[in-house]
Amino acid sequence: MENQPALRGALGLYTVIFITFLYAPFIVLAILSFQSGPEGGPQFPIIHWSIYWYKHLFGLTPPSRVAPLPIGDALIRSLILAFATMVTSTLLGTLTAQAFRRRFTGSGLVFYLVVLGMMVPGVLVGLGVALVSTYLGVDRSWWGTTFLVHVVYTFPFAFLVMLAVLNRFDRSVEEAAWALGVPPARTFRKITFPLIFPGVLSAMLFAFTLSYDEFPRTLFAAGGDLTLPLAIYGTFSVEIHPNIFAFGVLTTLFSFAILAVYGLLMAMSVRRARRVAIQEEIA
Amino acid sequence: MRAPSDGTTLGSVSVTSPSVPARPRWTDRYGTWLLLAPGTLWMLLFLAVPMLMMVYVSFWTQKTFSIEPKLTLQSWINFFSSSTYVGALVTTVEIWAIVLFFTFILGYPTALYIGLFIRNKTTQTIVLVLCVVPFWTSFLIRVLAWRPMLGKEGAVNLLLLKLGLISHPIDVLLFTEVSVIIGMVQIYVVFMVGPVAVMLGRIDRSLIEAARDLGAGSWRIFRTIVFPLTLPGVAVGAIFVSVMVLGEFATSAALSGQKVNLLGNIIVTEVGSLKWAFAAVAGVVLTAVMGIVIAALLRAVNLREEL
Amino acid sequence: MLEIRGVRKSYGAKRALDDVSLSVRPGEYLSLLGPSGSGKSTLLRIIAGFERADAGEIYLDGKPLTAKPVHERGVGFVSQGFALFPHLTVFDNVAFGLRFRQRNPVGAPAEVKRRVDEMLELVGLGELGGRQIAQLSGGQKQRVALARTLVVDPHICLLDEPLGALDANLRRRMTIELRRIHQRLGIIFIHVTGNEIEALAMGERVVVLDQGRVLQTDAPDTVYNRPASLQVARFLNRYNTFDQRDLDGAAAADGVSCIRRDLIEVREAGYRAAAPETLTTATFVTAEYSGSIIVYFFSLPSGKVVEVEYHLSHKRPAELREGSAYALVWRTDQAMVFGSPKIAA
Repeated sequence: MENQPALRGALGLYTVIFITFLYAPFIVLAILSFQSGPEGGPQFPIIHWSIYWYKHLFGLTPPSRVAPLPIGDALIRSLILAFATMVTSTLLGTLTAQAFRRRFTGSGLVFYLVVLGMMVPGVLVGLGVALVSTYLGVDRSWWGTTFLVHVVYTFPFAFLVMLAVLNRFDRSVEEAAWALGVPPARTFRKITFPLIFPGVLSAMLFAFTLSYDEFPRTLFAAGGDLTLPLAIYGTFSVEIHPNIFAFGVLTTLFSFAILAVYGLLMAMSVRRARRVAIQEEIA
Repeated sequence: MRAPSDGTTLGSVSVTSPSVPARPRWTDRYGTWLLLAPGTLWMLLFLAVPMLMMVYVSFWTQKTFSIEPKLTLQSWINFFSSSTYVGALVTTVEIWAIVLFFTFILGYPTALYIGLFIRNKTTQTIVLVLCVVPFWTSFLIRVLAWRPMLGKEGAVNLLLLKLGLISHPIDVLLFTEVSVIIGMVQIYVVFMVGPVAVMLGRIDRSLIEAARDLGAGSWRIFRTIVFPLTLPGVAVGAIFVSVMVLGEFATSAALSGQKVNLLGNIIVTEVGSLKWAFAAVAGVVLTAVMGIVIAALLRAVNLREEL
Repeated sequence: MLEIRGVRKSYGAKRALDDVSLSVRPGEYLSLLGPSGSGKSTLLRIIAGFERADAGEIYLDGKPLTAKPVHERGVGFVSQGFALFPHLTVFDNVAFGLRFRQRNPVGAPAEVKRRVDEMLELVGLGELGGRQIAQLSGGQKQRVALARTLVVDPHICLLDEPLGALDANLRRRMTIELRRIHQRLGIIFIHVTGNEIEALAMGERVVVLDQGRVLQTDAPDTVYNRPASLQVARFLNRYNTFDQRDLDGAAAADGVSCIRRDLIEVREAGYRAAAPETLTTATFVTAEYSGSIIVYFFSLPSGKVVEVEYHLSHKRPAELREGSAYALVWRTDQAMVFGSPKIAA
């Protein structure tokens, strides 16, 4: 069926339209972020092109009726939180996946307990943690309760990534190192870890981006100090201005920067493997 | 000491220590559990306990601005006798079904194209990544971006007017159920495309060729070979989409203009007014709906094998 | 000296090793021969410490080994896939054990270099220290795996189907290399293989394992000429087996007769056996010529196929007509008779 040109063309065209549909909101958002300000609203037509709202974000415009976005501290909190979540969940994910390399009774139960973390809607986990912390009289905070539920969410992703990586890992390489008299912990550091590093990197990327953008869990679990998504949510109920679009464009660019760093690290660790694979093909 | 069993022991045995059964070391026996303990404990304490707490609190007594641990069914009775709450339950299921349907209908052809029609693995990956890139914009900002898209003077209306397809702007696009559905489909459809495309990529091409050689037409090949083989992918995609749509409240809050109330919105509102017991009831109901949906989908697919 | 006593191992209901006892002499090259699933690799992995025996004890030079973790055993292991460290160069692969082992690691770079170079020289890879692993051929990988294992001076070197991943030519060369290296180092080598020719060629003694039990432990020529049981004879791929009803004028009351392929003579039908000879009548099917050897295939009335091997260096090929009956004759004392005819089905 994949040889029929008509079907192929139709599906290809559809896919182009589909991808346009995925990108349309972002394109509109990017265009509107260049709306003139402060009088221009978050809609068409563009009165005239300007970078007013970008300046507005950084407080470089004279004060107007539009209040600046309360994002400075929230951004820093979100970054710290995402980093801590990334480290913790990658560590937990690697440990747990390592345990799954052996058969043990109850593995199915543990597997579903962990995967539940990504399956249960965030609003429920957030509510549950809020209830427990109220019950125990513990204050909710972005670095405490929020961190806990973020790891609950990202740890399963890290676990699944590491599980896939370790499934493909050739365990005889570890055995070879032990047989040379190298103790298991050192073997893990010198052999296993370098070989699974690309997987660890992917797990970290997953955890970081998921935590950085996490909203429903955070809504109930955070205290008075807002994270970035909470700050954005705060603008929902009030009138929105193109400054939020300008901010959206900037955060997207920032995400791409993270993605680029990931790609770079990945390319560095994969390059050797690829060079090697090519040589094997020639041989 | 065990006597030599047969004629296979050669040479004289000069060893004096008795033959004891090998005793596993401590780390060997408990190593697996040591590795499991941190993750399992984390999930028990910060996922299982909170969820159980939610069930527990749903039976507490709700006072105006506080709750008391006196067990009662009052919140449950209130929930099911209120048309708002029951309506939210119905709306949630309704929106879930519609969004799931559209993510499947709109996502499957794209997955089919990526997984089956693009032969080059690198191109496949590039197109898949292209689909994922929008995710690197903040979720909430992506939701907000639909407002200038769908509004009366929004991009869609402008485009349709320019093309002469309509003479007056459509104003049911924004702040209605339609906008919520469009928004959710756009946000979640990729979760359907990915698993299905992966499944399609795994199909052995020679199977399709063999069927063609036997004279099967395209539709028949699709119906009898391709589609059944992608069903696990559809199930995995459906699980992802269901989990996210059922727990939604931000999209409806941003795009429905208070017209669409999902269970998620109920929970947010109740928590906002410190009605914890009501929120807990809504949470338990939502969990139950989730459980039924996921259990049904898990019958179709073994998650542990597919993930 | 390595002493294995009463080792048992089960995987669920399946018995992998059933009361295996062995004693390996200092400096011996021992072949461990068995079909897949015979437990030979399991035994090797238990000696190395990768798996734990359910019961039994292993002693190395009188000291019990079983309670020690892998890295404290001093037992080298070369696995079938070589298991080289793909992210390290050849030199770093070989140096790995020296640098990072727990017991007296070698820190001084000069000393590491001296010993690694010496070992690479021994395995014939003197020039290739700087290469990446993936740049090596199969045979070179095999040598790196050996060098990596031997450089840390193990008490024993375990080889798990070491030639399995190599092509026929390379296999030949490596068998010679392995023997040379073994002679130089004088430590115990235990070589696991499923190939009877390899086992006979390499081992000073051959241990035949089947279904978790040791069937025979003997010098190669004894195993070859006097297999201890029907299974061993079968496994050597060199023996024809006959129920008594397959034979003319049954030579033994019951049991199964085994006779090596090359000890059978083909005679015209009607040939009368002399007193010390056994005879059976069979129909010639076809012949297979392979250089120095011709194999003739016959079928018995029972349907069983008999192979007769003529070595052309000391025998003239026989002129046989397909479909005709011939007498197959051998000296009765050269055949072995084993009990339990049921196994022979």
